[in-house]
Amino acid sequence: MLWHWHPPSLPLDRPCQHGWPERPRAARGGATSSIDQPGGQAAAEPAAGTEPDPRFTLANERTFLAWSRTALALVVAGLGVVQLLPPFPGVDWGRHVIGVPLIVLGAAVPVTAYWEWQRNQWALRRGQPLPRSVLPRVLTWTITGIAVLSAIVLLISAVR
Amino acid sequence: MPGGDPEDLDPGMARERTRLAWARTAIAFAALAVAILRREVVAGLVVLAMVPLVWSLGHVASREPAGKLPSRRLLLMTLLITLVSVLAGVVALLGHAPASLDQLLSRHG
Repeated sequence: MLWHWHPPSLPLDRPCQHGWPERPRAARGGATSSIDQPGGQAAAEPAAGTEPDPRFTLANERTFLAWSRTALALVVAGLGVVQLLPPFPGVDWGRHVIGVPLIVLGAAVPVTAYWEWQRNQWALRRGQPLPRSVLPRVLTWTITGIAVLSAIVLLISAVR
Repeated sequence: MPGGDPEDLDPGMARERTRLAWARTAIAFAALAVAILRREVVAGLVVLAMVPLVWSLGHVASREPAGKLPSRRLLLMTLLITLVSVLAGVVALLGHAPASLDQLLSRHG
């Protein structure tokens, strides 16, 4: 049961008795190469790490999907601002200044999320602590910036 | 193992929760498709056509053996969203936004 390693920080009330067939260790030889180690040294270490508990792999996948939905919501919001809002009086470019950064952020989030998914999966295999995600910080600052921009556009529109 | 403890078949319901997460993502995709469809019919239909693909990716996920990594599916998902974002960006920049409140209201009225 060596490959059903549980990080000590996560309380698991049950031992891992999943219903998936447990493949012999020899059959997993190539599994490591499917995930790239940061720095690209994976090929040199074919047996790097062990297969994590499937629950962790699936949780990692759901985290990626949650960021994907966040990205889709950002794109919908950006599109809505540009196409559905009435124009700000006197500020023709106002809607684009607010909406386009949201769409650009929506394109950048899934790429970063995929990169972090790989990084997390690699850390899970090694039983290492999960690296900190940069996405919450990026999202916080971008949304703050867009809120400030919106306030500026509104003020300019009110002055004119 | 029919009739077995569901906890043993799918510990923590992780598999089912992942499938539902894919379903939610597909629904979010559909919402974006409708948002684009309101402005640009062709672009909207292209995005709408991707919804069954995203949905089916989740069903593939629930049948895969435990050791298999979803790298390809997640990479495809990343590419799809990036593509759709670019499409939405083009629609936002080139699609003619309503010029006035009256025009906006008359279009949706």
